[in-house]
Amino acid sequence: MLDLLWLIPALPLAGFLVLLFAGEKLGKSGVAWVGAGSVGISALIAGLLKWTFLTSPPEGHHFTQALWTWLDVGAFKPEIALYLDPLSLVMTLVVTGVGFLIHLYSVGYMHDDEDYSRFFACMNLFVFAMLILVLADNLLLLYVGWEGVGLCSYLLIGFWYKDPANCKAAQKAFIVTRVGDTAMALGFFLLVTQLGTLQVQDLLERAATRWEPGSGMALATALLLLGGAVGKSGQLPLQTWLPDAMAGPTPVSALIHAATMVTAGVYLIARTYVIYTLAPAAMAAVAVVGALTLLIAGLAAFAQSDIKRVLAYSTISQIGYMFLALGVGAWSAAMFHFMTHAFFKALLFLAAGSVIYALHHEQNIFKMGGIRKQLPLTYRTFLIGASSLAAIPFITSGFYSKDAILYQAFTSEHGHFLLWLAGALGALMTSAYTFRMVFIAFFGEPKTHVHHKPGWVMNFPLLALAFLSTVGGFIELPHFMGHAQFFADFMAPSFAHAAGHAAEAHHGAGLEIGLMVVAMALGLGGIAAAYVLFLAKPEIIEEKMKSEGNRKLHAFLFSGLGFDKLYDTLFVNPYCWIARVNKRDIVDLGYSFLAAVGMLVHFLLGLTVTGRVRWYAAGIAAGCLILMSVMVFT
Amino acid sequence: MTSVPMDHGLLLAGLLFAVGLAGVLVRRNILYVLMSLEIMMNSAALAFVVAGARWSQPDGQIVFIFIVTVAAAEVAVGLALVYQMFKRMKTLDADAASLMRG
Amino acid sequence: MTEAQFVALSPLILVGLAALVVMLAASFKRSNGLALGLTLAGFAASLVSLAWAAKVAPVQVTPLILIDRLALFYLGLVFLTGAAVALLGHGYFEKRAGYRDEFYMLLLMATLGAGVLVATTHFAALFIGLELLTISLYALVGYTRTEPRSLEAGLKYLVLATVSTSFLLFGVALLYAELGTMEFGKMVDLIRQGGHRETLVNGAIALVGIGIGFKLALVPLHMWTPDVYEGAPAPVTAFVATVSKGAMTAVLLRLYLLVGGAIPDSVMTLLSVIAILSMFVGNLLALLQDNVKRILAYSSIAHLGYLLVAFIAGGNFAPEAVTYYLIAYMATSLGTFGMVSVISGREREAEELRDYAGLFWRRPFEAGVFAAMLMSLAGIPLTAGFIGKFYLLAAGVDMGAWVLLGSVVINSALGLFYYLRIVASMYAAETSAKPGAAAREVALLGSATLAALALCLIWLGVFPAGLITLIRSAVLGV
Repeated sequence: MLDLLWLIPALPLAGFLVLLFAGEKLGKSGVAWVGAGSVGISALIAGLLKWTFLTSPPEGHHFTQALWTWLDVGAFKPEIALYLDPLSLVMTLVVTGVGFLIHLYSVGYMHDDEDYSRFFACMNLFVFAMLILVLADNLLLLYVGWEGVGLCSYLLIGFWYKDPANCKAAQKAFIVTRVGDTAMALGFFLLVTQLGTLQVQDLLERAATRWEPGSGMALATALLLLGGAVGKSGQLPLQTWLPDAMAGPTPVSALIHAATMVTAGVYLIARTYVIYTLAPAAMAAVAVVGALTLLIAGLAAFAQSDIKRVLAYSTISQIGYMFLALGVGAWSAAMFHFMTHAFFKALLFLAAGSVIYALHHEQNIFKMGGIRKQLPLTYRTFLIGASSLAAIPFITSGFYSKDAILYQAFTSEHGHFLLWLAGALGALMTSAYTFRMVFIAFFGEPKTHVHHKPGWVMNFPLLALAFLSTVGGFIELPHFMGHAQFFADFMAPSFAHAAGHAAEAHHGAGLEIGLMVVAMALGLGGIAAAYVLFLAKPEIIEEKMKSEGNRKLHAFLFSGLGFDKLYDTLFVNPYCWIARVNKRDIVDLGYSFLAAVGMLVHFLLGLTVTGRVRWYAAGIAAGCLILMSVMVFT
Repeated sequence: MTSVPMDHGLLLAGLLFAVGLAGVLVRRNILYVLMSLEIMMNSAALAFVVAGARWSQPDGQIVFIFIVTVAAAEVAVGLALVYQMFKRMKTLDADAASLMRG
Repeated sequence: MTEAQFVALSPLILVGLAALVVMLAASFKRSNGLALGLTLAGFAASLVSLAWAAKVAPVQVTPLILIDRLALFYLGLVFLTGAAVALLGHGYFEKRAGYRDEFYMLLLMATLGAGVLVATTHFAALFIGLELLTISLYALVGYTRTEPRSLEAGLKYLVLATVSTSFLLFGVALLYAELGTMEFGKMVDLIRQGGHRETLVNGAIALVGIGIGFKLALVPLHMWTPDVYEGAPAPVTAFVATVSKGAMTAVLLRLYLLVGGAIPDSVMTLLSVIAILSMFVGNLLALLQDNVKRILAYSSIAHLGYLLVAFIAGGNFAPEAVTYYLIAYMATSLGTFGMVSVISGREREAEELRDYAGLFWRRPFEAGVFAAMLMSLAGIPLTAGFIGKFYLLAAGVDMGAWVLLGSVVINSALGLFYYLRIVASMYAAETSAKPGAAAREVALLGSATLAALALCLIWLGVFPAGLITLIRSAVLGV
């Protein structure tokens, strides 16, 4: 059964190739079958593998499928191999499962687009690259997947390339993540040169035995890898690309910029967790990055008017929670939140997409209003997603995963009261901005009318994701609620090295309940605040907005706390200035000189090729003379 | 019977070779160039005969026959090409055939 | 001749036979399709007989020819390439007036010559094989009689190849005069034992080297390459760039294996200088060329320089590295020149850079394949060219040959520049394309061949291990 593993990435790749070469000839329904079908079958196989892992787990709870040896030159012998363990299995399930639902949704959403087959080709390529990233057994393959998803992200953000703004957003995403990728590549080089293997599992084992806890090498690699993770996952300080990335079609935002690719950073840290356990300082950095990001993004989400930008900031903020969890050593809690987040955020994006689709590409929530009556199903599913995001107690999956993170942020040995406080405040903000969006967009007076209602291909994924967003949390309950830790138990083999750390002192149910009650209160308080401010008494806001200071604050929040402006002043403008001032700069002179020498030599050599046969023969004779004199006289 | 020392034979072959090479390099008429090529090939053939004589083996003479045959084939192709070139360019100047350069 | 010898020789006999059959058939019925069919049948029969011959290998057939696994491997390579050239030639000559059957006959003869070269262990046979190959090539290069440049190229090739062959022959004669044998193995043994005139032998080896270096177009024996490549019909250029160089490399490899890598330092230095010069001269001359065939010609000079690096720096796995690099080079050269022949029109060949402007928008399939080929020449990962280059670099690092390595790296960058120039012009807007060069009809066989080549290049870039194993068994079986 496990031998089917290779099919999971192979099928989307095959789908991509078919669409690339024959996409135009297949017709729309053919494209849809190939595009969604390939991912669907992959999802089925992933489900089968999960079942196998549950019923008869392979030895050591991991499985390596060596496909072939790429090269065999001297000591360099990289295997093309897939590695499946609980961690990569969960990622695979989410990527294929949620991916399939989003593909299905796109069949309806993109139906009127003229570049239908290009869209599905890119989406399939993305799923393939993401699966390679997740299942990679060695750094080389992981890097290929990492860059592959970056490429697909670029292609899909700029999918509607005729609008220059979309292309700019795509370039921004590519360039900003590149900063992180460079750091990550350096980290990889360091790992390979220091530990002498490409195999991820071997690397971790060698790191654990060769590097002292707290050693500089471990710290350096951990920080460099963190750089890559921060770039890909849109965390502070490289978060600025993600809101702009919403320029892509909504299914793209759901798949790439909410559910899967942006969590690659979380996966990277979880995959190399051994190195982080060796570098407590780096772990603290991860936690602090996460805490700051979740607060900043939560604040920025308040001021947005574009429904997708609200969701984008909320994604940044939720991934901040995952980083927070990673930073305090709550590995499986991070992955748990990753999973529930994938469900409810994909749901939110898709439901928002349905609204946008129905309202003819209207994304401004202030122009929506009252659509709950016109699109009841969309409204209900959106509400389920929003509840999960706002962590409404007991009935939503988001509640359980967020609670697990907050609890561990407080109790873990790497935890801290301040980290918990940031998380708890974040919970307040999350529920407030989420329901602000719900109240403004779905309640109140209708300001526009619905053009066309989404069909079943778009509604079914919503229902499926709504179901998952609700029950997805029940597999991991807090200690006092019957101690059902299916998820953590399942993940445990992937984090075996950290077992010693995770054996947390049991703090008793009292503390757990206390923390939960505080978080619950904050979350519900956020909803209440949103209700008051945005539905019951909107005049309070209007009143406040009259003051100059508050308007400036709004603008500041609207711009994502001015990070774009900051980077413009700090990096972009000085760079442009240097470029302008230094138009004929010295470094360039060197290159121009090289190019000029190249051209000169080209022309000089060109003179030797005279076209005259006797001259060529003379060349042979001269060559012979030289050769003979060297051979005879040395 | 006193035989000619081998080195004398080789020297003669070498001189012939040099004459042939010089001919290729200095003659502009393509027919003379072809003739000079023949001289070069045949000087090598002569060297083979001389060498074969030193070891009293037939190999040298066999290679000589090879070379003469091959040279004939080469000249046949060469003359055909020269004829075609003359038909189209109305010249036998080897340097005129330099449409391609650089 | 024993039965085993006959079986071992059968691949060569069959190709020779095919040449005769094609010649006879042409005297009864002139037909491009029939001649192609007979040619392909001949190549197919020889390829099948390789398996037959492999069962009895190694067999020494007279002192002249040795059919061992190395020879069989290279024979397969040469025959496959020959068949591909025949397929490309079919579409190319179909578009043009004049006799076509002789092309196949000459092609078979030339391939037979190359086949003799790869199996030879004796200088007399080397000479016969070389001349069979070269004389057929004179006629092939000058095949389009109506095109002055084709004639000029044929004549130039004739004069220069004959000069170089004369050097080779004179060198062999001197060696024979001094050593008393023309068999490779015995000569190497005698030279190792000593007791002869060192200067004479060294000078003679230099003369032989001229002959070999000319065929490989290494600097300073490279000047014929661009003119001949430009003037020859595109399928013939593909043949010159692949089969004749591949066969000569096989000879070099055989000598290298006999010598056992025990090459004096001075010779190594000399070879290094030649390799570096070939890389730089080839790439720099290609840099601003506007004629695609000349660009590819200069690039082939540089590639043979890289190949020489594999010989010099390869150490223990030089034979393997050389063979892999050669196969990657042959497949891509076949593909690139094949592309020129497939997209050429009736009136003239598509050889100017601007003939390729906007090719992607006119013929996306061909443009994609061409781009893949150029990427492989440049050594981009997931193509065969990358693996070949990786071999070079790995070998160079192993030996600590930093000067050579540095040259390879610099030259890879130089190469990328002009390969990307072609690619960029293919994706540019179609504005300046000159009429007459574009083929209106699609040569189905040619395009299929190119598609197969492109697949093969990517296959070799992704799954190189299979071929590497095959090469190992071939070169280590010697």
